[in-house]
This record gives sequence, C-alpha cells and structure tokens, in this order.
Amino acid sequence: MTLTAAPPEERVTHQRARPRKGWRYAGTVAVFLLPSLVPLTLYTIIPMLGSLWTSLHEWDLITEMRWVGLGNYIELIGDPGTRAAFLHTLSFIAGYLPLVYAGGLGLALLLNRAPRSTGSGRSLLRGIYFLPVITSWVVVALMWKWLLNPASGIVNWALGLFGISGPGWWTDPAWAMPSVILASAWKDLGFVMIILLAGLQAIPREYQEAAMVDGATAWRRFRHITLPLLSPSTFFVVVISLINGFQVFDQVKIMTNGGPGGATQVVVSQIYDLTFRYGRAGAASALSWLLFAVVLIVTIIQIRGQKRWVTYG
Amino acid sequence: MSHFPGSRNAAIATVAAVALLASACSQGSATRAPSGADGKATVRYFTFSAAPDHLKDLDTIEKAFEKENPKVDVVVETAPFEEYFTKLQTSIAGGTAPDAFELNYENFVTYASAGSLLDLGTVAGDGDTSVYAQESLNAFQQDGKQYALPASFSTVVLFYNKDLFKKAGVAEPTADWTWADEQAAAAELTDRKKGVYGDFQPVQFFEFYKTLKQAGGEFLSADGKKATFNSPEGVKAAKWLVGKVGKSMPTEAEIGGAADYDTNLFKSGKLAMWHNGIWQFAGLKDVPFEWDVVVEPGDANKASAVFHNAVAISSGTKAGKDAYAWARFLSSSNVAATTRIQSSWELPPVADQQVLSGYLKDPKPANRQAVFDSLKSIALPPVIKRQQEMQDAVTKQLTEAAAGRTSVEDALKAAAADVDALLG
Amino acid sequence: MGKARGRIRGETRTSIGARRAVLGQIARYLLVGLGALAMLFPFGWAVITSITPSDAVLAVPPDFTPEGASLDAYGKLLETLPFWRIVLNSAWIGAASTMLQLITSAMAAYAFARLPFPGRGALFAVYLTTLMMPLPVLVVPLFIEMRTFGLVDTYFALLAPTIASAFGVFLLRQAINQVPREFDEAAVLDGAGHFRIFLYVVLPLIRPALATFAIFGFMASWNSYLWPLIIIKSPEFMTLPLGLATLHGQFTTQWDVVMAGSVISVVPILILYVFAQKHVIASVAQSGLK
Repeated sequence: MTLTAAPPEERVTHQRARPRKGWRYAGTVAVFLLPSLVPLTLYTIIPMLGSLWTSLHEWDLITEMRWVGLGNYIELIGDPGTRAAFLHTLSFIAGYLPLVYAGGLGLALLLNRAPRSTGSGRSLLRGIYFLPVITSWVVVALMWKWLLNPASGIVNWALGLFGISGPGWWTDPAWAMPSVILASAWKDLGFVMIILLAGLQAIPREYQEAAMVDGATAWRRFRHITLPLLSPSTFFVVVISLINGFQVFDQVKIMTNGGPGGATQVVVSQIYDLTFRYGRAGAASALSWLLFAVVLIVTIIQIRGQKRWVTYG
Repeated sequence: MSHFPGSRNAAIATVAAVALLASACSQGSATRAPSGADGKATVRYFTFSAAPDHLKDLDTIEKAFEKENPKVDVVVETAPFEEYFTKLQTSIAGGTAPDAFELNYENFVTYASAGSLLDLGTVAGDGDTSVYAQESLNAFQQDGKQYALPASFSTVVLFYNKDLFKKAGVAEPTADWTWADEQAAAAELTDRKKGVYGDFQPVQFFEFYKTLKQAGGEFLSADGKKATFNSPEGVKAAKWLVGKVGKSMPTEAEIGGAADYDTNLFKSGKLAMWHNGIWQFAGLKDVPFEWDVVVEPGDANKASAVFHNAVAISSGTKAGKDAYAWARFLSSSNVAATTRIQSSWELPPVADQQVLSGYLKDPKPANRQAVFDSLKSIALPPVIKRQQEMQDAVTKQLTEAAAGRTSVEDALKAAAADVDALLG
Repeated sequence: MGKARGRIRGETRTSIGARRAVLGQIARYLLVGLGALAMLFPFGWAVITSITPSDAVLAVPPDFTPEGASLDAYGKLLETLPFWRIVLNSAWIGAASTMLQLITSAMAAYAFARLPFPGRGALFAVYLTTLMMPLPVLVVPLFIEMRTFGLVDTYFALLAPTIASAFGVFLLRQAINQVPREFDEAAVLDGAGHFRIFLYVVLPLIRPALATFAIFGFMASWNSYLWPLIIIKSPEFMTLPLGLATLHGQFTTQWDVVMAGSVISVVPILILYVFAQKHVIASVAQSGLK
C-alpha cells in the first residue's frame, strides 16, 4: 500500500534545498515520530490486533474464547442485519456530509467576511455557533426530539402554517434517519465552520484584492481563489467527516436507540449491542473489521484522488 | 542529525518526560494495592442499585458490617445500571472481576451458566438460609446449587390519582378489578382536551410477559425450548397493551421522547392510573394530590411482576469466605433489612414478617399492604441464556404493533420466530 | 500557488458599489444573527430545565418561564457528587492530554509534511487507519492490555489512549502543508536545522490550527465516557461524564440534576474556546500572512 501523502511539487522544492538520500534524516524522523508512534502502537494498534484475534472466536467475555475461524465473518456477510446496518450508515453519510459541509462553509464565509471593526462581535458569534459542538448529545438529543415532536413540536407547527402536515419525524421509520441527520448536521456545523475558518484565514488577503482589482465577480473569486486555496481544509473535513460518519453512534444511541423498528440501527450500534448486550464480542470484532475495510477503501480513494483537486501552498 | 546537537537532547528529554509521567501515574496505584498491610482482607463489591439515591444507605450497612467484622474491608464500586454489565463483563474478561457483585434475576442465568459464579455451598459452612423468603432464595439456584443470595426485590402495582377518580365520579380501583374494569375506568377518566390520560402502561417485554400470565398464557414451553407466547392468550395480552396506546394513553409521538414522561405526567396530576414499581414511592411524597396503590388488575389470573436483585460471588475470588459474609450481611442482616425499609430502598427478601411490618408503618401510600398482597401471585420473567436479545426482540415487535405498522398477530409471530432462533 | 503571489502589493482598494455592500452587510448580519439564535436555543433550554422544579419538567411543550424556578438542582448536584474533585480530575486530565497530544501530533505532522523518508505515505496511512476502528470494539482488548501492565484504575490508564492523536496529526499536517515553503527555505539558508524550523518557523505559523486542535483535544478528553467507565473503579479518579452517569438509576433518573450537570460541564470548554479564539485572531494578525 503506497499512498502519496505529500503533494508532488513539494518534493521538488525540497530537492532544491538539500538532496534527498533515502534515510538521510532517519534520526530526525525518529525523534519527530516516536512520541506519537509509540503510544499509538501501544494503545491503538495493539488493541486493534487484539480485536482481529477476537474476531476469529466466539466470545461472550465471561467464558473462555472458542475458535471459529472465519465463522463470524461468513455469518455476518450473509446476515440481513449487517446489510441493513451498512445501508443505514450510508444513508446517514449521504445526508449528513453535504448538509454539514455546505452549512459550515456558508457560515465560515459569512463570519470571515464580517468587517474588522466588529472583531469582538464576530468572535462572540463564533462562540455561539460553536455552542452545539461543545454541548453534550444528551441535551442536544432531548431538544431535537422536542423540536421534531410530531404532535406538538415547533417544526410541525411551523409547517402547519403553510398548510403542510408534518411527518412523524423520529417516530416514523422513513423519517427517523433524516431526523438524526438534521440534528447531527446542526450540532457539527460549528466544527466544520471552525476548520474552514482557519483555512480561510490562512488565505493571503492580497489574492482576493488582486482579483477584485481585476474586476472578478464574487462568484468567480469564490470559485477560482477561495475554493482552491481552501482545498486542504476541505480535504481534511471530508476525510474526517467520512471516517466519523461511518462510525456514527452516540447520537443514534441517545436519540432513537436504533429505532423505530430498527430503522436507525447503524453499524456501530450493532457492534456495541453485539459486544456488550448480546455477549458476542467475536462477531462484533468481525463486524468492526468489515467496517474498517470499507472505511479504508473509501479513504484510500480519497487520498489517491486528492492530487486532482487539493492545492497546497 | 549531527548538524544540530539539540535534536538528541530533545529526544532524550521527551523520552524522559514520558517515562516520568508514566511512573508518576502508576505509582499512585501501587500505594493502593489490595489487601492492606494491616492483615485486613479486602472484599470488592460492585453494585448498580445504590446509585444515585441510596449510596448513604449502603454506607450505613457497610459500616455496620465492618464493625462486626473488623478484619474485613469492603470496597464499594458502583456503576449506573445502563452500563453496569458492560463494566462487569469487561472486568471478568480482563480477569479482574470484583469479589462480590450484584446481579438481577434476568441476568443471573447467563452468569451462572457461564461459570462466573461461586457455588455458595463451598463457602457457606453451616450457613442457615431460613432467614430468606424461600421463593426468593430458590430463584437464584441452578442445578440444585445456590449461586447468589437474594438481596432485595420490588414489585409492580397500579398507582392511581384519587383526586382524578373523585372528579370524574369513577369508583376507585380495588384488588378485585379485572382488565375490563380498568379499561372502562380509563375511558371515562381520559380527557384529551385537558391533557389528562386515564392509563399508562409501557409497551415492552416486561409488561408483556406479565400480562401474558394474567391472560393465562405461558411465555416458554415447559422444557424451555420453544416460545409459546404466540397463542390466543398472547394475542389477547398484546392487544390489551397495544390497545391503550392513543386511546387512554398517549402515543409515542405525543410522548415525544421526553425523559420520564410518565413520571412527570403522574406527578403533575394528569394521569389517573399508572402501572409502575414501588421504587416510585419516595419520589411521590410531596405531590399536591391524594394517591394510592392497588394490586394490578388481572384477567384470567392475577399476576404481579417482581424484580429481584441478588449478591453473587465471583468464582475467581480469593476472598470467598469474607465475600460470603458480606453478601449474607447485605442480604439478610437486621441492619440491612431495616435500612432498606426505612429508606424505601426496595424490600429485603427476608422471611421474618416482623421486619417487613415496619414497611407498613409509613403512611403514604395508605394501601402499602398491596405490595405484600401482590407477592401472593407473582410472575417471574422468563429467563434464557441470550436474555437481552430476547427482551429486545419482543419489545421491538410490540412497539411496531403499537405504532400501527404491523398487526398484533404478525408482531407476535415474528417475535416468536426470533425467540425460537435465540433458543436455537 | 506561487503564480498569484506578489502580483499586487500596496495597490489601493476600489470602493465600487458601496451601497450594495451595505445592504449585503445587513442581510448577512440578519442571517448570521438568526442562525446564532437557533444555536443558542438548546443551551438556553438546558439552563431552563435545570432550574425548573423536578415535578414540572413535563417537556411538551416546555415552559420557558417556569414557576418556582430554583437552583435546587445545582445544590443537589453538589450534594450527591464530590463535584469539585470530579471537575478537578476532568480538568487536569483534559489539560494533560491536550498538551501531550499537541506535542506529539505537531511533531509527527512536521515529519509527515516536511521530512522526506521512505514509506512516509504508508506510515501516514497507518496513522489514519487508527481512526477507522470503532471504540466499542477496542476497549476490551485495551482493558486486557492495561491489566497486563498493571495499570487498571490509574490516572495513566485514563491518559494513555489520548497521548497520540491521528486526528491531530492529520489536522496539523494539513496546516503545515499550507505554510509556504519559502519560509523554511529562508531559515535553512540561515543555517537552521529541522528543530529550529519546527519551533520557530512552522509552529508560530500554524497557531490557529494548534488552537483549534487544542479545543478538540480537550473536548475529546472532557467528554469521553466509555473508556473511563471501563478502566476506572475508584471514585477518586472519577471524571465528569462518569459522575453525571451515576445520576441515572436502575428505574429512575433525576433529569433536572442531569441537566444542571450538563450545563456546568459546558462552561470550562466555553472558557477555553473563548481563550483560544482570542489567540487565533491575535496570531493570524501577527503571522504576517495578511
């Protein structure tokens, strides 16, 4: 597996500075990497291998492990519950990612362009937009369940004003996932905003000003300057949101607990239930590795594809 | 690296800092090693039922025990019920199971058959078990061996708001009520415009197995190898539960996922009848209306749900005798029994009616006797090895029926198929 | 993006369509303000729930001017939990884990962004893969590992999984990649080695990203629940989420107290955010990028 983690032009620049000779920097590299590599190996990679071992067993955690080889994998692949869980997870991502990126980008642009004189007001606004990110899911979920209450929620009341009879939201299997998506996107807007804002602030002001002098429209400036220069931040947001999206769990557990009728049972809910509620740690580990394979493939595709659209300074 | 001497120093400094941190942190644990140097034995006890309301009561019992057994030091660890078993399983998997721990009746079989529990006969000596209510004691036996001591129990009764009954001119429930009486009263008491509901009974596994018994049905076949609840009685019980939703009881959509919706509905005086456990007594002390309890109405039979908690001892413990002494003290000593009764912390499963009579002295609710009456015909939940999956499957199908997405008949059929697969 | 650089410097800004700009400004403020209101709502709601007497927390529809509002829930919170001890634990563990993550992640990010070495891409991919395994499946093997090291129920065990953060490495690597290479080259010409460049050139330039990551690092530690639940036994090591969870009983939960706890638990992060926010703006202003 060779992933190109670094943009090509960078290597060129570096060769100018000092010729590249394979392990020339071995010592320096080790010093920079070991502080993270050692704990990462000890506290994440080794447990990951542990779960790989577990996935080949039937294990309820309280009795001895029993070797079943690939039995768990075979069972899971044929299980309609697994397919449903992956399907629910994918539908979460399909709704969540565009929503949270568009919202976060819009916010970042609005807040970035506010005039300098209102600096304190701007940072107050940012703080407010960041509130949902730091508020616990317990509170957020309770509030959204009330907002989206089919009978007396404010959202359906507002829809009623336009003569629309609102859906059953999270009590209706067809609308439960959209409800979770809505709440999640709302909660994470601030996260995407802050990342993109940091990216926007790193864009030298001269670029915009130059384009303005050239008479470029706002849209052209956005399309040809802001978006390309923001692409490293966008890349980060997309990769992280996808990795996190595949592991969506907390909000589902608190908001719908997989219901109604299993309509929001996602992969990690399934993993949690299998491990801790149903005494099937082996099957849970196998399912995690299936999920892992999917996320890995998706991420590799993104990293491979980044050359086409990500511009580094 | 040689061109910049600072790099090696930085590396050494980093490694040293991490090492220092690691040793500093782990030292903390070394000084807290189990079984102190003063020759005291330590018994680690893991519990879910004490938090959040009864930690002080547990402390009282613990102090009394340590006074009687100065050589034993009881260390209490608690976890919320939701995650208790997550933690317990992990500690057993990691070989650090607590010496003694609490188990509820539903999970007892799983742990007993997994070999996680010590056969108490090996440490009990000539321990006399006549102090326990026999039925409670028997609930925690397997293959003729006692694997846990019953420590507390609670029952489910029918709570009712006397003021609402008076206002509607409906006669208050009695112990002779049947489902038909309850249904008629609920219809009359419900006033949706005022947001008043006649009846509240959750649609889930625990209510279903009980109403099934009330209807005269059985959940599992006698040999425990087949689900038998997909029967005319089962359909009747499920229809009884599901039929309330949206009529005398709010729908799931109306409940809106609000936490403790039913508790708050009853407390705010807008719920006439409420199927719930005696653990609610303490929280209802100061409500501004009159209320009482009565044994739940039956149908073909009377049957009341009982929730049992017991203390088990880990099969891997090194302090079996001391842990047993603690388990015994916690479950049957006078101090424990009276502490539980005084603080309404469930009921002690003791045989001595004298001890229990203290429970009746509390003036509210007036008909506390109903709690003991409900014990005359109890319905213990069906228990299988894959308990949690069974409970989830049954609840899921019933919820589907309650939401009107499937018929009661289809729901029971699907649930029975699921349970059969689990019995496999 | 060397092409656009230096095209103009010091040219005056034209002020075409100033009136349209004002109108746009107003619309923008309206939009941002309305959004802000929507964002504030849940927090206000939690505050109200926490001061509403427990028997009136009937949530549908919520009463925004509850009668008999009181701070009882906060009193109960302090009474039922050794609250200050818990907050102190959470605070110092959060601070320690944030510091460690910042150091380890920034260093690794520098290596991945600026030091060419064989297998760099593959190793970075390995880092990323550690983000792809769901936590519920890792806690059991990790617990068993901690037990072998004799670290169950220690502060170190709480900290250990947070020393390194692949998320942080990724975030900071992206930030370093955005730093123009001319800056380090200038330093190289001055004879600086990688440590100097890292400390004196790169770190100051990625301060906004560091501040951002500090908030996320702290939040992750401050809110983490499953791992502390599993690894901690003694009440003296209890963290805030664990403490709040003890308010959930087998049959009953004191929701007003839970809400009070949730409200209090947001405050430190909010303070940290405001602090970091100031820092972000200051550093952007200084960094010479504008």
